[in-house]
Amino acid sequence: MLLTIHQLQVNYGHQRALSITRPISIDRGERIGVIGSNGAGKTTLVKALLGLVPCEGRIVTELTPENMAVHMQSNAYASTMAVQHIMETVLNTRIRKNQRLRELIDFFDFGPCLSKRFNALSGGQKQKFTIIMVMLQNAALTFYDEVTSGLDFETRQRLTEKLTDWYRDKDDTLMVVSHYYEELEQLADKILILDQGQVAAYGKKEELFDTFCGRVVYILENTPENRRLCADFPILKSPDHLIAISCPDQAAEDKIMRLLAGHNVNFKRSNSDIEIMYINARERFRLEQR
Amino acid sequence: MKKKCNRNLIIYELRNLNGNIMPHFFGIVFPNLMCLLLSRTIGGQASPEVQTQINTSLMLTMALIMPMAIMLLGYGCLYSSEIEKGIPLRMRLFGFDPVGEMTAKIIAHLIFLTLAFLLFGLFQALVMGVQRPAPASFLCLMASLYLLGIIFLIIAHAIANIVQKFSVTFAITMFLYFIFMILTGMMGIRTDQLPTVLQKIAATLPMTYISSDFIDFWQGGSYNFMPFLQSFLFLGALSGILLLYSLYRNKRRVGS
Repeated sequence: MLLTIHQLQVNYGHQRALSITRPISIDRGERIGVIGSNGAGKTTLVKALLGLVPCEGRIVTELTPENMAVHMQSNAYASTMAVQHIMETVLNTRIRKNQRLRELIDFFDFGPCLSKRFNALSGGQKQKFTIIMVMLQNAALTFYDEVTSGLDFETRQRLTEKLTDWYRDKDDTLMVVSHYYEELEQLADKILILDQGQVAAYGKKEELFDTFCGRVVYILENTPENRRLCADFPILKSPDHLIAISCPDQAAEDKIMRLLAGHNVNFKRSNSDIEIMYINARERFRLEQR
Repeated sequence: MKKKCNRNLIIYELRNLNGNIMPHFFGIVFPNLMCLLLSRTIGGQASPEVQTQINTSLMLTMALIMPMAIMLLGYGCLYSSEIEKGIPLRMRLFGFDPVGEMTAKIIAHLIFLTLAFLLFGLFQALVMGVQRPAPASFLCLMASLYLLGIIFLIIAHAIANIVQKFSVTFAITMFLYFIFMILTGMMGIRTDQLPTVLQKIAATLPMTYISSDFIDFWQGGSYNFMPFLQSFLFLGALSGILLLYSLYRNKRRVGS
């Protein structure tokens, strides 16, 4: 076990920002996706694990802060010199002498940015700059806290693809905080759902999906006709513009599929939709809390 | 593994320091300019021999501005603005040891201070015309200025780390800068002209002795160093306590 959290609490003044009552364990090589709305405690959890905020409870680990690497939401550097010098200082190496670093710079197409100062980089280039240095740290546990926030759709997608490609077939342990479900679908194999500072659910993606959504969900547009059509099926919580139908088994799925196809309704079938899973896990957690 | 002070980190700090205008102006241009102006004002009517003595006295006083401007004011401003942006935290998250980082900052600033001394020395020798020092007196002055520089940097670092804000750090270091200048005779008022309470406070500052006493043995002679050394011990201890407190406040604690 790489790290276990027991009864962790973080308070900001009189406000409880995080309260984890059930033990949470992270094994070596796991990819944990952390999801939750604003103020759910995602960044607070990362900060607590990094030892940046005072907390109560226990974090049992043999890791020291130096064994952890992190890409924070906001990463600032001196703008008094070219980023190449910052990179060489942080990694204590020379770019021309470090094959692996050169590979990463090429992988992220960062070469042309090396002579620029940090404040002259675009948002995506700034993110790439930190990502390269974080990756080169070879840390036992790496955190990515909203690594693509503030980026346009295309840059976000390209960056996520790069990260996914880089970590494919590697056994690095990652904790990825994100508001973007597709990012977590690509990068995470376990999901930690936080709600108002508490753990709403934690487990493998497939297990959580099965628990909160069933075997498969069918997602279609929320129109009066579609609502009427699906009235007899188990409907899950979903964003307002969608209807999500849960299929507990193959027979139910066949029935729904025939119905939708018969009425020429467009739909999406998913057995891993994190958005629907998140909404329903959070809903159930809130009901249990009442 | 924690990243300690290394060559790359010292060069990084030098680049960072060089990119900040404040130490260049207040640490290099300002003391030379002050020497020139005060020399013309105070010693304008004096005979050449007296003028040389006045210039030497002014040089000893104005030399104190360099460690204060570069290490206390300049570094305090640079580091606190970095804290506001989260740069030191980012460096810590990359595994840099705070003590190692500070060692690199001290070394980089001492290198910059040496360059400032060289320019100041050249200006004094070529433009101002000052008395040639006895080697021991010169070494004593240099050692004192370096030591003062280290103490000022530690004080500025600790203040910035404790208050975590550029505006407050700037206000405190600027206040200290002017208070030190007033108390130690750099603003034209001699220490013995100050009220008794302020004289006692001034006696705890090494700058007072450099400013008023060093001229007496600049070209040789004897001097009782004990009060001077005691003032160094006091200021050094104060800076050490402040630093330890600031490091403790910002310590990272992971796991149990």
